[in-house]
Amino acid sequence: MKNIDDRAKKALMDKTSEAGQLEQEIWSRLENELFTEPQTAARKVKSMKKKVLPLIIAAAAGILIAFSFQTETGMALIDRIKEMFVPEKEVVQSIEGMDEETNVQLNEGKDAEYVIYIDEERYKMIKGEGDRPDVITTKEELPENFPEVSMTIEQIPDTAPDTLVSQYEEELTLEFPELRPVEQVTEPVEGYQLHGIQNGGQKWDDEVVHAYVISNGKEGSFVITERYFLEAAEGHGARFYAMLQEFQILE
Amino acid sequence: MDNKGALDKASFQELYQKHANFAIRTAIAITRNPEIAKDAVQETFIRVYRHLSSYDASLPFEPWLYRILVNECNRLLKEESKMPAYHHPDLENDERISSPSGGHAADLVETIQSMEDLYRIPLILKYIKGFSEKEIADILELNQNTVKSRLFKGRQNLRQLLEIAEQEAELDEKYR
Repeated sequence: MKNIDDRAKKALMDKTSEAGQLEQEIWSRLENELFTEPQTAARKVKSMKKKVLPLIIAAAAGILIAFSFQTETGMALIDRIKEMFVPEKEVVQSIEGMDEETNVQLNEGKDAEYVIYIDEERYKMIKGEGDRPDVITTKEELPENFPEVSMTIEQIPDTAPDTLVSQYEEELTLEFPELRPVEQVTEPVEGYQLHGIQNGGQKWDDEVVHAYVISNGKEGSFVITERYFLEAAEGHGARFYAMLQEFQILE
Repeated sequence: MDNKGALDKASFQELYQKHANFAIRTAIAITRNPEIAKDAVQETFIRVYRHLSSYDASLPFEPWLYRILVNECNRLLKEESKMPAYHHPDLENDERISSPSGGHAADLVETIQSMEDLYRIPLILKYIKGFSEKEIADILELNQNTVKSRLFKGRQNLRQLLEIAEQEAELDEKYR
């Protein structure tokens, strides 16, 4: 057999000899993709610009939200808060390393619990009925062989984040045995973050879960669960992150 | 998952230079198409750069790299198959391979390339990079015995082809 092995090896090596010529071309592409400075600098400038408006809105809304918790006329104030959110605005998102200006539209969560801005060209919100959570998912249905892409938002009014996060961690570990340890984060929302990838993240379609457990401003929590697949981490994952930066609890 | 900054450019370039040649050869052989192979290798090294933090350093690096590479080749081939018919120059139609002057070497490559992927890809990994059965099993996430059996059958096919070719050559010589 050895003779065959040697000859097959030599034949394959001969027939793939152009590899040497392609090395530099591929390196140039990699260099451009991974180490081109101007993009990074531009992204930083735009990112700073992007943060200003949400911060002003959030600060103003925060004052009104705090007031609404303590008065009988909370609902009327919620209407006023909603008025403060422009129905549509342009945000700059960093998608797969490139800045992208996107128009996003104001969407109100189930029972006016929160508002969030959604890129309605790509996504839609399905309001949860009864006990079901709200789901933001792709506007166009993905091909059959693609894993689920969605972000569910659910309020659990009677369980505080500290308690809920442990329960949720346990639940997700069954599905994602390599779930990372829980982290506390302040961006895109303030609370606990859970992250897991199936099969160690080697294949393009390995499923990813990325979740947050945050306070609802009272005794309860919001659980936000993103599901996508490895290849989509810098696409859908980044877009969900950008949406959550605009997430505001109303009551 | 983003691991930018974990490896500086010089270190990454060194890693690329060390592994690129065999990775490109492997991708060309698997995809039978240098253009798709280029994309597969590029995507593979981008993934390696960005996901280096998820790599378990206690395990050998190359099986991890080639697992990503093989998956990328398969993913791009799958995407390609969904696109409208478009002719790419490929190995099987490459004159350097199919011309008579290619002789037995061409026959060997053609035989390997005509096999089903389950035999073809293990043989490519074995012959181009010289991976062991265990390494191929790690790369393809298969049982080692399965790889052993597939390599055995693949090599049997090759041997039969070689014997036939040699018999034909002897007959040619005899009756010339």
